[in-house]
Amino acid sequence: MEENFMHINLINPVVYTCMLPLIAGILFFLIPEKLKITKGIIAVMLSGISLYFAFVLYSAASLHEQYSVLPAGITYFNVAASSLLLCNIDPLARLVSLFICFFSFLITIYYTAFTAKENSISHFYSYMLFTLGASVITVLTGNLLVFVFFWGFLGITLYKLINAHDEISSAAAKKTLILVGASDGLMILGIAILWKISGSFDFTRAGIPTTNGLSITAFFCLLVGSFTKAGAFPFHTWIPDYTESAPAPASAYLPASLDKLLGIYFLARIFNDLFEVSSWIRLVVLILGTSTIIIAVMMALVQHNYKRLLGYHAVSQVGYMVTGIALGSVLGIVGGLFHMVNHALYKSGLFLVAGSIKKASGKDNLEQLGGLSKFMPVTFICALVFALSISGIPPLNGFASKWLIYQGIIEFGTGTGIANQLWILWLALAVIGSALTLASFIKFISGIFLGRQKTSLKEIKEVNWLMWLPQIILAVACIGFGVMASNRVIPQIFTPVTGEILYSGLWNSSAISLLIIISILLGIAIYFTLTLKKFRTEDSFIGGETFRDQAGFETTEFYDTIKNSSFFSIFYKAAEKKWFDIYELSKNSVLKISHFFSAAHNGILSNLAFWVLAGLIIMFIFLLM
Amino acid sequence: MLKDLFYYIIYPGFLFVAVSGGILAWFDRKITAWLQFRKGPPFLQPFYDFFKLLLVKETILPAKGSKITFLLAPVFSLTGALLAGLLILLPVLNIKSGFSGDIIVIFYLLTIPSLTYIIGALASGNPLAAVGASREMKLIVSYELTFLLIIAAIILKANMSIKLNEILLVQEDSPFIGSISGVLLFIVAVFTVQAKLGLVPFDMAEAETEITHGFFIEYSGTPYAFIKLAKYSMLFILPVFLCSLFLGGLQFNGLNILWSVLKLLGIVLLLTLIRNTNPRVRIDQAMRFFFVWMNLLVIIAIVLILFGL
Repeated sequence: MEENFMHINLINPVVYTCMLPLIAGILFFLIPEKLKITKGIIAVMLSGISLYFAFVLYSAASLHEQYSVLPAGITYFNVAASSLLLCNIDPLARLVSLFICFFSFLITIYYTAFTAKENSISHFYSYMLFTLGASVITVLTGNLLVFVFFWGFLGITLYKLINAHDEISSAAAKKTLILVGASDGLMILGIAILWKISGSFDFTRAGIPTTNGLSITAFFCLLVGSFTKAGAFPFHTWIPDYTESAPAPASAYLPASLDKLLGIYFLARIFNDLFEVSSWIRLVVLILGTSTIIIAVMMALVQHNYKRLLGYHAVSQVGYMVTGIALGSVLGIVGGLFHMVNHALYKSGLFLVAGSIKKASGKDNLEQLGGLSKFMPVTFICALVFALSISGIPPLNGFASKWLIYQGIIEFGTGTGIANQLWILWLALAVIGSALTLASFIKFISGIFLGRQKTSLKEIKEVNWLMWLPQIILAVACIGFGVMASNRVIPQIFTPVTGEILYSGLWNSSAISLLIIISILLGIAIYFTLTLKKFRTEDSFIGGETFRDQAGFETTEFYDTIKNSSFFSIFYKAAEKKWFDIYELSKNSVLKISHFFSAAHNGILSNLAFWVLAGLIIMFIFLLM
Repeated sequence: MLKDLFYYIIYPGFLFVAVSGGILAWFDRKITAWLQFRKGPPFLQPFYDFFKLLLVKETILPAKGSKITFLLAPVFSLTGALLAGLLILLPVLNIKSGFSGDIIVIFYLLTIPSLTYIIGALASGNPLAAVGASREMKLIVSYELTFLLIIAAIILKANMSIKLNEILLVQEDSPFIGSISGVLLFIVAVFTVQAKLGLVPFDMAEAETEITHGFFIEYSGTPYAFIKLAKYSMLFILPVFLCSLFLGGLQFNGLNILWSVLKLLGIVLLLTLIRNTNPRVRIDQAMRFFFVWMNLLVIIAIVLILFGL
């Protein structure tokens, strides 16, 4: 009886969190687009309800890990169907589903105020709700078939949310669909191999050792799926294109937060549940992870379009998560998962900032902006918090998770394998990635908010409160997760997922944060007592010259020294020619092959008849064998 | 709690660091003056400078910039410097307190001053300050990797420990400088500290003769006093950090006080001599210097460590 009661209590939240948005999403197609405000309010309410149930699910204390969605006692007509409905509600799944609902809620609020004529995505709320429901099912399901079905479904909503309206955005949408779709295809292959090996589609069937060719193939097929979703090198190339073309809320929703949560969630599952990973695979994944960090951040450094810059960072940060999870130790996994959550917090925040800037100014490039901090103070403060978080400045959250990953790398270095012996390399790449992230965010912040106020931007106003409220919530979460990292967030949210951590370092985030607050208050007090009495404002001093428009130093020129240096310019030129883009490479090779075959299609009937005959003969021979 | 606040504000925090930094700044200026056959400033000159800026001088704010960011940046820079100093000095002086941070935390806190100078400079809206900020950011990117590799080498030498007090404990009998790899690392570390302090040959971000003090061009009065104080603090903290990484730390008991002071003055003397005998390099030269040569030296040192040298 007791068990039955628990059953009902837990099952309902699962059903509500997943099914409510899905059904509502379908019904939303029936409501005409003109009732945008009504739709928005209902969507916000629905995502709020999902968030509530996700929270109920998260806080439900239970040791049971697997449930059937069907109430106990009711037998379904088919055994296989009931295994499809099996849920796998472990702490990791609860955590990820809670954050999925959290981001959906905030971004829906933001979108209600964001919609404008040229920005609006048709049926945004439907696709948003579909995405929410499908993501939660993906996370909570215990069956790989259900998982891959809804995972693929997310690729379609991703495609629809890009709002392809011109040639560039259509190309980006197509690229996204092809890359994500191809990776889904590989995942299906991987799952089939997994079924062949283990005879089950069960998600938690633990530890297939990656010793023979078959299991290694399955591992890499699934890895490609996770990497493409999360956007890790070399399958990352859709993300910058997507974020450049898609409206900012869509970027904030999928590539910045949900795709990361799902991709890294699946990566953690692959590494910890599905496979027993051998050391050389760890080496390969570590190489991919650290190269993701460096390659993407180097590209971000030279971007002029701020949404594209953020897109490259959405790739670069994945490298940290992949590195953390590939380390395999508790420290590394906690670091990776914590970084996943932190990244979703600040990156979706940054995309919301980008959306606000775009809506307020209509400009896409950094050199067209500048000095907005005066007009958009709330957005500026939030952006600064996000930028410092992503650059890993203590005591913000980005630092807390990077610190765990660095410690994980150093702890990993005590091992004996080849990958362990190279720990200095992993550490160096991760840290230099962090410094380069800081460099490109200096460009982002100063290009948009600091610097000289442009005369063309005099009319700009702060955005609607519905747009800055989600940003503030995210910024407060960034600060809170950083300040309380070592005494609350990690022990209460992340160690229940992974187990206790043995720290090798020291970081008392709350005490240090308290000192920072005291210092800042003291500083402000000194300013109030000393400076406010005697100050005046003057225009900039530039060596006695009068200021002319061309005297400015654009932030986009900041890193031209790096771009033009003899060593890096080779890579940048190659990247401009898309030599590193797996999509372009495969597209070119497919086109070349089809060009070769198209020689056969010369329109002469006898030639075509010959090909048909030749094909038949080959088939006959094959069948006879 | 009150005790912890005492640590932060009086000893070994704010007051101690600021006073020692001021004294070291005087030492640096005096040596420079001697090298240039001048008499040099009186002992209290750095403090006169600071109090004059803080109390007497008028503050001029940039009309076309972001004033609040411009004013808050120096406060953050001072805070970052002091926190790094606190986390370095507590283990060095062997004081137990509520604050703790390992070598990675210190590494990150030590970038905060440079970062906030950049943000403050960009908030001023002055193009010369923007030039300085861009150079400083590129300089950070170049020396950060070297600095991290030095720290990784130290971790390797200290049997994979990242706590400063354990690193000091390993060095109790034989400081790390007593080996070939230690000497190599120390040379590189001195150059990195030189760049971190923005001293010649790596002062291209300030470059008085070229871009008229670069990223500090718009600062005056109280905010500039904070910057001065942050610079004094860094001039004390970074040599102490070098001492604890290579020279076995500092002891403040009995005759050891003299020995510790000599170590510190020795490092500052080295920095001063380098800055007085070298021309300023261009930013691309500095980047090449760190990316290629300094990193090469550290990698050689790491290989030597792996062979036990």
